[in-house]
Amino acid sequence: MTNQHPKFAVVGHPNKGKSSIVSTLAFDDAVQISDTPGSTIKKQNFPLKVDGKVLYELFDTPGFQRARRVLAWLEKHDVSADKKHKVVQTFINEHKEDERFQDEIELLEPIMSGAGIIYVVDGSKPYGEEYEAEMEILRWTGQPSMALINLIDDTNYVDEWKRALGHYFKMVRVFNPMEANFTQHLNLLESMAQLNEEWTGPVKASITLFKQYYEQMLEQSTRTITHLIYHSLSHVERQSLDHEEATADEKETIQSNYKEALRRYEQESQKKIEKIWNHDHLQKVQESLLFEGMDLFSKESASIFGLTRKELLITGATGGAVTGAGIDLLLGGSTLLLGSAIGALVGGSGAFFGFNELSDVKVLGQNLGKKYLEMGPMKNLNFPYILLNRALYHASEVASRSHALRSVAKFEMGQSFTERWMDESIRKTLEKFHSKFRSGDEVKTEDLKEYENIIKSILKRLIDS
Amino acid sequence: MNLKTYLNLYELVKIHKGTQEENRAFGLEYAKIKSEPVKQLEVWTKKHTPTLRKPLLSDTFSTYLYGMTLTLVIIAFLLGFFSGVGLLSYSGHEPVNVIYFMAMVVLFPLVTMTLTLFSMLRANASQSLLVHISPAFWMEKILRFLPKNVQSSLQELKINPLLSNWLIIKRSQLLALMFSFGLLIALLGMVITKDIAFAWSTTLQVSPKEFHGLLHTLAFAWRDVFPWAVPSVDLIEQSQYFRLGEKLDTQMIQNASKLGEWWKFLAFATLFYAILLRFGMWFLSIFGFKKALKRSFLSLEGVSTLLREMNEPIITTSATAEKKNVVPQGSHYRLEVEDLDSSYDRTLGWAMSDEELRVLNDSMQVIAPMAFDVGGTNSLEEDNEIISKCKGEVLFYVKSWEPPTMDFVDFLEELMRVVDKVILAPVGTVEDTYLPKSKELEMWGRKLQKINSNKVWLKK
Repeated sequence: MTNQHPKFAVVGHPNKGKSSIVSTLAFDDAVQISDTPGSTIKKQNFPLKVDGKVLYELFDTPGFQRARRVLAWLEKHDVSADKKHKVVQTFINEHKEDERFQDEIELLEPIMSGAGIIYVVDGSKPYGEEYEAEMEILRWTGQPSMALINLIDDTNYVDEWKRALGHYFKMVRVFNPMEANFTQHLNLLESMAQLNEEWTGPVKASITLFKQYYEQMLEQSTRTITHLIYHSLSHVERQSLDHEEATADEKETIQSNYKEALRRYEQESQKKIEKIWNHDHLQKVQESLLFEGMDLFSKESASIFGLTRKELLITGATGGAVTGAGIDLLLGGSTLLLGSAIGALVGGSGAFFGFNELSDVKVLGQNLGKKYLEMGPMKNLNFPYILLNRALYHASEVASRSHALRSVAKFEMGQSFTERWMDESIRKTLEKFHSKFRSGDEVKTEDLKEYENIIKSILKRLIDS
Repeated sequence: MNLKTYLNLYELVKIHKGTQEENRAFGLEYAKIKSEPVKQLEVWTKKHTPTLRKPLLSDTFSTYLYGMTLTLVIIAFLLGFFSGVGLLSYSGHEPVNVIYFMAMVVLFPLVTMTLTLFSMLRANASQSLLVHISPAFWMEKILRFLPKNVQSSLQELKINPLLSNWLIIKRSQLLALMFSFGLLIALLGMVITKDIAFAWSTTLQVSPKEFHGLLHTLAFAWRDVFPWAVPSVDLIEQSQYFRLGEKLDTQMIQNASKLGEWWKFLAFATLFYAILLRFGMWFLSIFGFKKALKRSFLSLEGVSTLLREMNEPIITTSATAEKKNVVPQGSHYRLEVEDLDSSYDRTLGWAMSDEELRVLNDSMQVIAPMAFDVGGTNSLEEDNEIISKCKGEVLFYVKSWEPPTMDFVDFLEELMRVVDKVILAPVGTVEDTYLPKSKELEMWGRKLQKINSNKVWLKK
């Protein structure tokens, strides 16, 4: 046997969300989902591969089109239960070239080659007797099966569906691919594992692997966010000068280049995160959205995503006090800790008055006697929080977004988002790292790792909540 | 792990990162070293270096570095040697003041080594002042004398500041060591070739005893093993030299042979402070450089991705082939009716019960002599029989939310053969008071458009 891995065919009536379920289970936003019935005309397989080895395989199939005719054909064969599956196979063999039954053949083929059945219905619409022919055909195949009640709309007919499905399937589960979180996803896999004793091992291994995969995605996202913050804070924009003093135009150019570079960092980081979570095809409206349309440097952006002036004052004072404390330490405390006090005062007021400033534009000399303009690293204390807030919001939204959703992503972050993850102690801890990133010095890998861990715990909390 | 490997890796991650599959295959091939990332990177670099364009950047840089270092080492040695010769030059008229030489072999090394220690502690600062004042830093300036193509390739190279700082610190120690060797050789050479009368002289009020105390302290490292290499109080007293005294102190002339004894102390001081301690600093800088190199390996842009690709299993869940979908065309069906008539020849309900059909007729205020439920659990024969009973105008109820399957289309086509007109009326759920959604009507409209029959009308 070459195909020993478990296979699952997602089947059902047309337009009941089969592709959405496959899309969610496969973490793949490339699955074509349409509200037009009959949009899936060919079965499509989604193997879960680890280093090339298939652990299990999902099949997205077209919906039943002529179920009554197929059932009528099957019922013409009066056979005992142990031979029924052979009749189904005969039907496939005899009607392979018959255009009328192409959809049925496409969906029955994987089942007859050993796939477990996942029968999908829409629990937001009433049960109908037309489904019975489909379920009867599936019963003829003799393959292990379960029913999934998908809730496409807000109305709820789950109970009547459960009663009806209970006659045909041993296991009935409710699963909403649009809202299912990672745990629900794994629970469904657990249920699928129970369909066949032989599949328990590989599916459980897949669950372990999915957890590892999820962890990998989380780590990659936090690494991306960490690098975004680090690179943005430490970024230095340089521009050669042919003369002694920089003109206003040159200053403006470097400022705009500096901002552009930081915006580019953010865009690249967002793209990367979308790719990590397999949302490569994510559609975002740029202009009408608060999140995307809001300039990274606008005052509105600062007040929504970042720290308030009061918080800035505290942050600046803390940073200043740390520097001052260093002076105290250096002088053996002979300053009677005045260093800390002065540091706090200078840092705090600097932060307060420098609310809108990003970085100085400096004219510097270069090795070979040339002059150049330099802007960066970032000195605005609010900036890292604005950036981090946006990055965390974007990452948590992307990570929680169902792969079945094809609507345009609307990232509308309210002011309350910051409160969901930031408190006094987190701010203090983060500030310690932000000042290191801002210093322009080489930041130790261990420091970046530590920062990454903090971001990871915040992001995990945000995704889980 | 060396600088060359680092530079090769630097180039490789920029030019040839390899695909995720290739890197994972490498990771699996060398699974034994999975827990040693630096080793993994070394092996990976070695494997992929042949793909780099020749001459290798690492070779160019190493050649430049080697050439520059050798030149500076020679200069430092010569500088040390001639400084020593200058400090020990003895005309016979005046003794050689040991304080100058001591300053050069004890004070200068101690001060520079302290600065070095600070610069080591601050090595991760990208613009460390202490590093910048080092002579090795100015090696960069020699770059401008190199050929243009070499200059451009080296200028593009952005070494990790931590690593470049340690590189400078390490080279500085080597240069200082060579300078000290020059001093020692000069001292030994002068002692062998000349009879030097050493003395000491200072404007400060320092008594020979106090001076002896200082020298005794300075000689802490060798005074117990080589006591003869520490000047005695007598020698110190005899060799004190006053500028305003006689041209040459008579006592000094009497003890001329003893005055030369100072060389032992000076040689040991040079050996210990300027050479041995500097060796220590050099080793420390080699250790620091190795550590910085290891850190730089791991912090190189792109390396974390590379390691991740090597060590994390490739998990794919996507489809093996892109799916081609049917794109819906059109939505507005041309044959539409706004209102239903009050009576029809027949009413049919697709997959509906008799009761549902009755309720629907009542709710739509429609009268029909015969009403049939079709599809659903009916057999095909039953449906055919119903079709045979149909004639004239038929009102056909369908569940608006259920997509029209081919089973339905087959039935409709059969029905159209025997009737004059079919009014297809999609009805919504009870909750929606039987009103269909516009999206659902569009779906039915599209299907009827495909059927394209003049007999079938859609109730809006």
